[in-house]
Amino acid sequence: MSELAFYVYCIAERATAAELPAESLPPAIEDDSKLEWVVSGELAALSSQVPLASYSEESLAEHLSDASWTAARAMRHETIAEYVAKRAGIVPLRFGTIFLERDGIERMLSDKGRELREILERLRGREEWGVNVFCDQNILMSSITSVSPVLRELVEAAAQASPGQSYLMQKKIDALKVDEARAALNRIIEGVEKSLSDRSDDAKRLRVLKVEATEHGELKAKFAFLIQQSDFDRFRDAAEKLAQEHQPAGVRLELTGPWPAYNFTQIS
Amino acid sequence: MSSPFDQVLIQSDVEQLEQADLSLLETLDHVLNRGLVIAGEITIAVADIDLIFLGLNVLLSSVETANEVLRKRE
Repeated sequence: MSELAFYVYCIAERATAAELPAESLPPAIEDDSKLEWVVSGELAALSSQVPLASYSEESLAEHLSDASWTAARAMRHETIAEYVAKRAGIVPLRFGTIFLERDGIERMLSDKGRELREILERLRGREEWGVNVFCDQNILMSSITSVSPVLRELVEAAAQASPGQSYLMQKKIDALKVDEARAALNRIIEGVEKSLSDRSDDAKRLRVLKVEATEHGELKAKFAFLIQQSDFDRFRDAAEKLAQEHQPAGVRLELTGPWPAYNFTQIS
Repeated sequence: MSSPFDQVLIQSDVEQLEQADLSLLETLDHVLNRGLVIAGEITIAVADIDLIFLGLNVLLSSVETANEVLRKRE
């Protein structure tokens, strides 16, 4: 038989392991193995066995460049984390946390017990929601003249100038439009961040990946918010109001979630 | 004009492929790039997520393959 290792998905309180027996959970990351809770003290780690041959550092690096291999397994990881997170507090771990022995997981739970319990406490009753800010550049550009006094003056002056002058002024207007549009969008994004941060317990601005342009315009900013479940309706209403407010500038907001709190697991 | 606000619940909306595409990318970003890093005996750092996404975009351009990947989620 080939050598096995232990893949760890998330960490929860010991009581969660009792409430959610491993057999009741979604399938493990590899088809031929089962999930199990590894318990130590007051904590429990959800794990399953994986063949060391595919999950060693070298072979994983190779597998990771295969998008379908990675996507299918990341989805399994996420489905499990989501399932448990919907029912109990968890600390979601990053993809690819692997132990060679069950003992290693137990040791980690006891060595890091204090920090892990602290994170669980901080996340209790809270969910992560994502907010994506998209902008349609064409709408933004055409809306910008009406909101920028400097531009409006220039446009009016250009209309009354001689053809030669007007041509030069138009050049200036075009350049200014680009700058003003960028500044206006930044102001909107900062406003969204401020207003939604005020309605959440924690906020993070995330990096925008290159491939995330869509037909709804370009993704300009991405945030994660940690929100108490009972505060969510207020948060959602605020986000919808912001979306309506900024629609004339070509801005669209998208709210995604609830996510396991992947972005809020740092040890303070 | 369509609504400037969308709420995408990440559970159980796999039939709407357009939304599912996005949620798949978002999911990968969460799982591969975020979450607590615990020093396991082996810890994999995903070096270039953009590369994986590019590969995934090729994969998702075939609707059938996309459905297959998403079904594995259930």
